Amino acid sequence: MFNFLVMPAQAFLVMPAQAFLVMPAQAFLVMPAKAGIRFLLATALAIAPALAFAQDAHEIVTAADAVRNPHEPFRSTLTLTEYVGGRERSHSSFVLFSKEDATRHFRNLLEYAEPPQDAGKRVLLDGRSFWFFDPASQTSVRISAQQRLVGQAAIGDVLTVNLAADYSSTVAGEETIDDAARQKRACWHLEMKAASDTAVYNRIEYWVEKGTSRPVKGKFYSDSGRLLKIIYYRNYVERLGGVRPAEAVILDAVDSSLATIATFGEARFQDVPDAWFQRDYLPRLRVK
Amino acid sequence: MTMRDVPHLNGDVPHLPRRAWLLLAALALAGPALAADEDKDLDLIPQTVPAPAAGETNAREPNPPGSKFSGRVFIQNALGFTSLRDDLLVPFPPPLPPRWEERLLADARIEWSLAPDAFVLYSGRLNLLAEENLGFPNRGNVTHDWRELYASVEPRPRDYLDAGRINLKSGVALGFNPTDFFRARAVVDPLTADPSALREDRLGALMVRAQHVGEGASVSAAFAPRVTDPAPIGTDPYRGFDPLFDHTNGSNRWLLKGAMKLGDMDPEAVIFGEDGHWKIGGNVSRPIGQASVAYLEWSGGRRRGILDEAIAFGQRTGTIPPSAPAPLAQGNENRFRSQLALGASYTTESKLTLNLEYHYNEAGFSRSDWDRWFALGDASASLSPRSDPGVSPRRGPGSDLSQELWYIRGYASDFQEPLYRHGIFLRGDWVDFLVPKLELTGFVLADAGDGSALMQLEASYSASDHWTFGVLAGGTTGGRASDFGSLPRAASVLFKATRYF
Repeated sequence: MFNFLVMPAQAFLVMPAQAFLVMPAQAFLVMPAKAGIRFLLATALAIAPALAFAQDAHEIVTAADAVRNPHEPFRSTLTLTEYVGGRERSHSSFVLFSKEDATRHFRNLLEYAEPPQDAGKRVLLDGRSFWFFDPASQTSVRISAQQRLVGQAAIGDVLTVNLAADYSSTVAGEETIDDAARQKRACWHLEMKAASDTAVYNRIEYWVEKGTSRPVKGKFYSDSGRLLKIIYYRNYVERLGGVRPAEAVILDAVDSSLATIATFGEARFQDVPDAWFQRDYLPRLRVK
Repeated sequence: MTMRDVPHLNGDVPHLPRRAWLLLAALALAGPALAADEDKDLDLIPQTVPAPAAGETNAREPNPPGSKFSGRVFIQNALGFTSLRDDLLVPFPPPLPPRWEERLLADARIEWSLAPDAFVLYSGRLNLLAEENLGFPNRGNVTHDWRELYASVEPRPRDYLDAGRINLKSGVALGFNPTDFFRARAVVDPLTADPSALREDRLGALMVRAQHVGEGASVSAAFAPRVTDPAPIGTDPYRGFDPLFDHTNGSNRWLLKGAMKLGDMDPEAVIFGEDGHWKIGGNVSRPIGQASVAYLEWSGGRRRGILDEAIAFGQRTGTIPPSAPAPLAQGNENRFRSQLALGASYTTESKLTLNLEYHYNEAGFSRSDWDRWFALGDASASLSPRSDPGVSPRRGPGSDLSQELWYIRGYASDFQEPLYRHGIFLRGDWVDFLVPKLELTGFVLADAGDGSALMQLEASYSASDHWTFGVLAGGTTGGRASDFGSLPRAASVLFKATRYF
């Protein structure tokens, strides 16, 4: 007879939470009454925190999203500085226009200002519609979600996104970790899985500071489970009506010699018409 | 429930079995251990990366307040060598392509802001050129490619009116764009054979254009008038500063285009007219999963085959005498013919993007057309006198017939029309190949009818934000009686250095 209570302790560690929920009802019927009560109690104790975490994980991520970005449309400058082996290697800057839609997804429009060979290039990211426009060829090329992470190292990571809209989250636990300045932060450790077809990564581990809801760190994984990037959020400043991270340190987990600092600069609220977020507006965008 | 109300795992729970307590204790201890692992990630932050003082950033504004000019300027030096086939089945009429070329060019695309809703844009390239058989000094040593110069106003939000020389492009495919109706005769002296890069150095047409960009849809209309007689096929190497309006405005052309957001499809429809003939077309694209995009581009209209179009154009521009016999009868009734590009892209986690496309050109050569082209060319070469030394060691320059045969192929190249009926295009772009900032780009364009191919591989390294160095190697493969294997250029290599400002 399958006896839950004499399972080795290791089994708990590897058993997914769903296994508790899908245990067949017959298992209860064949258990002794005392063992059944113990089982129910242990199960309830095991599930209750998990359910509570699952319920609140979404709120935690939503709150962290609100710390990173406001709900009102805005424009911001953005600088990416790439480091190879600790030395500054290249520099890019952009103007970014962001606007939240009715589903809480952000729509982004971005123009390169630097480096000189990329000046004037534009990127549109709206749901599953990604377009790259090159003024030299006057051509718009449609790109995939994965392709937006290629080329300019971190555009896809620093564009405005609401993680709560694209991922289902659970609380993996509470941890105290060091932030980018090696200051201790008591955090929620969240486990996030892609829940929409606009999610860029398959899986994210995310640490959000308790009390402030400030994102501290994220680890981003590919479909194959490969760790791609680690991001630290730092330098919280007054920006766009709130205290928000002005920098993100993006570490390449595949090639550990690569790091990128994304810095958000001058930002202001600005009306961004919906008509801007389509292919034919890309050649017409003029940053004034 | 607020976040602070979330129960803790180590709460006071009586009567738990001993093993459960042990489990919970193990879980409680696991937290700090895992956190310690997380802290190790900090070691990946290079120590030289500065942490700015609170509230400080170094982000820069792209256009400083009051800036009137924006755009891109670069100079480039390109040195290229070409090897020519010496066993062409159909001899290539002189002059042969140069076997070496040195070009120093200055390229600019500058937007001059006149008002918040008006600007003037110039785009062009100045070339200093030396090449085999060009001579020095003459007008061929200095040329100017005047790509664009137009004024644009926005009288109402997202209503636009443009006038001047404008590069108008359409399409979603990379290797061949059936809906890019203004591509004809627009490319001059390209430094690459990559179809997706050819668009960067092509001439616009004199036109007026109006566009409205609404919410979720846009419409535009353009008219490019005939301002002069069309020039014969080929670009005059001694053109100097000639704006080449006889290439871009030798006929009356108009275009209507509409695009809309339809889910994640983003379709576009185009109607095009030229001197009483019209074509319709459209393109659509859609993401497939996270890593792929599929796209389809089609156009169609009543036209004759490319062979007859070439001969008719040659007679109209005086290159081919009206009384000259048509060497290849293609059937050539004026009927509805289609062009198609169907493709998909795929991007790997290692930053490699592949595009695979199928091309269909109903106006192109059939297998029997090719057979007759080679048979006539071979026969004419056998009848013609032997060549001058250095022109073509095995074959002479050919008779009038072989010149006419090559004229057809020159016409297709000038009008950017594929000669094949069925083609396969594969392009790869590998960012950060082996080392950061090294980009590898290559393509193969194959005639599916005979297996011959045009291919190219380019490595480009960005040494800094301002300097890029590249080397490009290409060639053609196939039998002597094949589409690409019958071309005079066998292989080429190009070295280039670019300084951006």
